[in-house]
Amino acid sequence: MVLSAPPRSAPAPQRPTSPKSTKSTGLKPRRRIKSASRVDAFAPYMYIAPFFALFAVFGLFPTIFTFYVALFDWNPIGGQTFIGLDNFVTLYGDERFWNAMRNTFSIWILSTVPQLLLALFLAQLLNNVRLKFANLFRMTMLVPYITSVVATTIVFASLFGRDYGLINSFLNLFGIDSIDFAANTFASHIMVSTMVLWRWFGYNTLIYLAALQAIPKDIYEAAAIDGAGGFKQFFYVTIPSLRPVIIFTIIVSTIGGLQVFTEPLLLSAPGLTGGAGRQFQTLSLFMYEQGFGNFQFGYGSAIGVTLFALIVVFSVINYLLSRRITSDD
Amino acid sequence: MTAKKFARTVIAGGAALALLAGCSSGGGDTDGKITLDVWTFGGMGLDEAFATYQEENPNIILKVTNAGGSDEQAQALTTALAGGKGPDVAAIEVGYMSQFKAQPQNFVDLRTLGSDDIESSFLDWRWSQGVAADGSVVGIPTDVGGLAMAYRTDLFEAAGLPSDRDEVSALWPTWDDFIEVGAEYRAATGKGMIDNVNSAIFNPAVRQGSEMYYGDGDDDLIYETNPDVQEAFGYALDAIDADISSRTPSWSEAWNAGMNNGDFAVLAAPAWMMTYISQQAPDTSGKWDIAAVPENAGNWGGSQLAIPAKSDHPEEAFAFIEWLMSPERQLEIFQAHGNFPSTPELYDTEDIQNFTSEFFNDAPVGPIYANSVASIEPIFEGPQQRIIDTAILNSLSQVENGEEPAADAWSTALKNVKTALGG
Repeated sequence: MVLSAPPRSAPAPQRPTSPKSTKSTGLKPRRRIKSASRVDAFAPYMYIAPFFALFAVFGLFPTIFTFYVALFDWNPIGGQTFIGLDNFVTLYGDERFWNAMRNTFSIWILSTVPQLLLALFLAQLLNNVRLKFANLFRMTMLVPYITSVVATTIVFASLFGRDYGLINSFLNLFGIDSIDFAANTFASHIMVSTMVLWRWFGYNTLIYLAALQAIPKDIYEAAAIDGAGGFKQFFYVTIPSLRPVIIFTIIVSTIGGLQVFTEPLLLSAPGLTGGAGRQFQTLSLFMYEQGFGNFQFGYGSAIGVTLFALIVVFSVINYLLSRRITSDD
Repeated sequence: MTAKKFARTVIAGGAALALLAGCSSGGGDTDGKITLDVWTFGGMGLDEAFATYQEENPNIILKVTNAGGSDEQAQALTTALAGGKGPDVAAIEVGYMSQFKAQPQNFVDLRTLGSDDIESSFLDWRWSQGVAADGSVVGIPTDVGGLAMAYRTDLFEAAGLPSDRDEVSALWPTWDDFIEVGAEYRAATGKGMIDNVNSAIFNPAVRQGSEMYYGDGDDDLIYETNPDVQEAFGYALDAIDADISSRTPSWSEAWNAGMNNGDFAVLAAPAWMMTYISQQAPDTSGKWDIAAVPENAGNWGGSQLAIPAKSDHPEEAFAFIEWLMSPERQLEIFQAHGNFPSTPELYDTEDIQNFTSEFFNDAPVGPIYANSVASIEPIFEGPQQRIIDTAILNSLSQVENGEEPAADAWSTALKNVKTALGG
């Protein structure tokens, strides 16, 4: 197991002697020890305080404030009227919301499933001992991840272009008519998913690779002695050993996939509707359109709260599943 | 409360106040100089004018921030105003104007600074775009788009159509004629004549009446019943039916490429678009020309300059705007960048009447744009103007892309508008 927490049985670290206590100040020893231990007890909290202070200001407060704003008809530059749960009632009857929900899930599945399979496959290749320049290839995996999303989207948008796109030129070679990727619902999901896949597959590949390298060689040797070939080893040794890591990548991809925003936003420009028929508008983009495009912060916040709840539900399901699966080991 | 606790509270409170003060005073005024924070976006053509003003007014420091596009600028301004801040001068694209002027308390009513004195020098319909429902003046007009049809003479000749600009204007006195020409172009070349029906047909046509989506007040929604809207919508559907569009969305990469490649031969072109076309398709210089728009009236774009209520220097900001949008300055901006002046006293001058564009085959663009803006009537735009517009235009795009049947388009558009307004 690669991503497990440090062993819990590790002995508690020796409490370092405070520099103060070494000074001879003439105070009574008992008191000196007491004050030193109070400082020591406090110190760790001070070290982690910067993160939690920033998190409280930029993470926790906005989240809580979003719940509050969602109860209002809130114009960012105008008035605010308390309307209770009206925003949510409207939202759950708003077909644009369900459309965005469908798009989000469709794009999530279309990007995550091939992405993780591809990552697993590439990790297996990169783990091959006969591979030369392995480190070079491993580093290369991260290039799409560190490339600006804007640059990626612009390049992919032109690849998927209707009239001059490389993909359509390729399809035309085989006598297939050009596809208007941006206009057609399913085709646009493929386009967005491809961009998401491109951005994240390297990250997942490296995680799988790290996990693969942690599998003890003797298990494979034992399997080989028992007569298991390459495929059998993969399915009966590799996959079960990777299970916790696979669960982890699924959780992370789910959280990321439900929040896909930049790609559809850039493809949607100059509008915010994700295509004329809202065919690739995700929940995040819908939230942004309502809040910042239409000045309806209350409604936008209601979308945000719903998205938050959705992610919590999915994370809990993932957690329960992963706990069950890891306890099977 | 003990003395010690009290002292601690005072110190903490003081520190918090100091932090707040540090945030709110955007530009500190040093040595008696006044800093004006100016927020603009790309394509306004104001850079030289800013430099000139800076030279002539050493006591003022212009701090110009270009947000990029008009959408980014509107979002940045929204965020700033929501946080109780803002620049001293903010440019707002007309498409966003109705949303901002629906909340006039965020801006200085420019009547208090003397806007009445300069009102008469601007086109009245253009001025009204900056006036809120309560009569307060929120923004001073910058340039006016005007509208003409930019067309490719070489492609028209290849299609067996006349290429002389007067003859081309005579081809399409009405939108029906325009669609007819498009059908001929398709028959001769197999290509679409226009870029897309939204930019080339619906947008210009719907703004040629005296009313659009609103009657005479914020609550008077008439988008459903206004015959002008239905008529413009009908023209767009006819154009799709006659297959005259190349289905190239405005502002897309394909659009920019299309200007070069001849994917379409006609483009609705407000004055500021001339610079855009010449930058995107420099190799087509001399192949473009400018003809009148059907019905010979139209506007696309332009901005207002507003002063947020939180500005520390409203008087200086207004003096700056007054200087920047004076007829003399607007003429200079037009000559350098093509942004057409919104001050009609210039239109009959030789500077405008004799102004031609080399890129556009020496077309007399001065008088062409002057004519297109002269007969426009003021249109009242309510707070949801842009939201309604988006819903209707999206519905047309869906038909244009073959994703929805034309027969359902109008009812889909109405349904989408209602959903958007209800949300």
